[in-house]
Amino acid sequence: MTLVQALVNGILRSGLYALTSSGLALSVGVIGIVNFAHGEFLVLGAYLAYWAFVLAGVDPLLALPLGALLLFALGAGLYHFAVRPVLAAPELNQMLLTFGISVVLQNAALILWRGDPRTINPWYRSLPVQFAGVSTGLGRLLVFLLAAALVTGLFALLSRTRFGQAMRAVSQNREGAAVVGIGVNRTYLLAFGLSAALAGMAGVMLSTVLYAHPMLGLEFTLKAFSIVVMAGLGNLTGVLWASIVLGVAESLVGTYVPRGSGLADSVFFLLILLVLIARPKGLGAR
Amino acid sequence: MEPARRTRRTPLLPVAGLAATAVFPFVVGPYLLHVGVTVLLWATLALSWDILARTGQVSLGHAGFFGAGVYSAALAHAHWGAGVIPGMLLAAVVAALLALVLGTVTLRLEGIYFAIATLAFGEVLRTLVTYFEGATGGPMGIGVPPMFGGNRVAAYYLVALLLVLTVAASYVVGSSRVRLALTCMRTNPQVAEALGVPTVKIKIALFVVSSSLVGMAGAAYIHYVTFAVPQEAFNLGISLSSVVASIFGGLYSTSGPLVGNLLLKSAEEYLRITVKYGHPIVYGLVLVLAVLFMPGGVVGVVKRWRSWK
Repeated sequence: MTLVQALVNGILRSGLYALTSSGLALSVGVIGIVNFAHGEFLVLGAYLAYWAFVLAGVDPLLALPLGALLLFALGAGLYHFAVRPVLAAPELNQMLLTFGISVVLQNAALILWRGDPRTINPWYRSLPVQFAGVSTGLGRLLVFLLAAALVTGLFALLSRTRFGQAMRAVSQNREGAAVVGIGVNRTYLLAFGLSAALAGMAGVMLSTVLYAHPMLGLEFTLKAFSIVVMAGLGNLTGVLWASIVLGVAESLVGTYVPRGSGLADSVFFLLILLVLIARPKGLGAR
Repeated sequence: MEPARRTRRTPLLPVAGLAATAVFPFVVGPYLLHVGVTVLLWATLALSWDILARTGQVSLGHAGFFGAGVYSAALAHAHWGAGVIPGMLLAAVVAALLALVLGTVTLRLEGIYFAIATLAFGEVLRTLVTYFEGATGGPMGIGVPPMFGGNRVAAYYLVALLLVLTVAASYVVGSSRVRLALTCMRTNPQVAEALGVPTVKIKIALFVVSSSLVGMAGAAYIHYVTFAVPQEAFNLGISLSSVVASIFGGLYSTSGPLVGNLLLKSAEEYLRITVKYGHPIVYGLVLVLAVLFMPGGVVGVVKRWRSWK
């Protein structure tokens, strides 16, 4: 495999990382909540796409809006009934709460859908695409483009709309935002819902390039956390860079090191460790 | 929640707990004895986590040190025929050295950054051990013969001894000046520095102590269950359940993590038998409810109840 091919594979892979992680960056950056259940939202999205495809024949990519809506509602509900009461509690209690939610959702998925991976095959999944000697599946390309579009949309939302401005204001200075008349609690609720919706959409798309499985949640939570931490808390542009760095690093190791796919995760975490040691507040910190 | 200022009173509860632990093997059958070993082993993990947490550092790296202990002991047996005791001593040294290095390079990290760094450390160890299968057995795992020729009562007392050691460490750390220094470091690190508290030394020292206890627990574990694979030895669940037990029981105390671990592990074992399928969902629900309605932990609830009387 050529170097260019490995780089392209890594970049394609980083699309879903960026989408998932920017969702987590919202809940960490705006609300300050360390959400261990973030990956579980992604798993729910993946199963939603699976069932929509199997039961109703709906194409997973057309199920995206539905996934976003349902996960937004779930996120908003969870915020209202579980997260809001612990906002003033120590960080540890918040971590424990979201960890508990993650355990509940993960096992609910196990009980409902068992532990076998569920794969779906929409027509574009393994349709080969070739360009200048580089090849990939159409599914992976579509997923990357959609993820990139959604992340761009998120950036536009944050910088151009009043809601986005409110979120940024609240994340910078909660009291100040309240003083100028921003509904802090409402902004938190929307931000948490949006965060869940982003993970849900990533999950819907993940079902077309990988599979749906209850245990995927933890893996993606950890990767998203690592990306967010590497970027520096609340730094959304940094999330993009960190996603690409990690996606490409995984791909390179998988390509060039013998039996490297087993080491890819190691590289992922080793990079995070090194970045943290060198830059204790993340790459994006000033 | 901070524990109330310790006053001198008869140590009734610790003595009763010690006595109950000592006679336990004589009053129960083999099944409960096995549960007892598990509870004691995980109690060591929870309490050693809390010892480090008192410096303000939230670690998710317990799994890494546990796995390091498991593999030190197993490899020491494979190469030199080392039994459980030398295995535990070696595991303590290996874990201590790893903690010394990791603690030194992650000194400046705080909060979630430290948590992620320690988590990454454990994951790196796990994938490395899985990858170098020539030396470690890789994903197929590694085995040792059962300790003390399979005598489970002896195994129970060894694990109990390790817990006593951990409790002793917790008492030393929780005593007078050190405790005041730790409380200050946790609540306001700048003030602690200004007052001349050697925060760097304390952080590293407690990281080393905590990790070597975990390493010994890992060594005892492999010699008890006789077989382990990397997925299990470096399981993130080890890190998480240590955190959970301490918070559920009550942070920054000796009794909190012990009580929390006892309740959670017993409940988990009971559920495992009664609700055969998907029982951890109840475990998760209990956690959520506990955080929402009793944030001070079990010990906090008992304290409040006592002060009302």
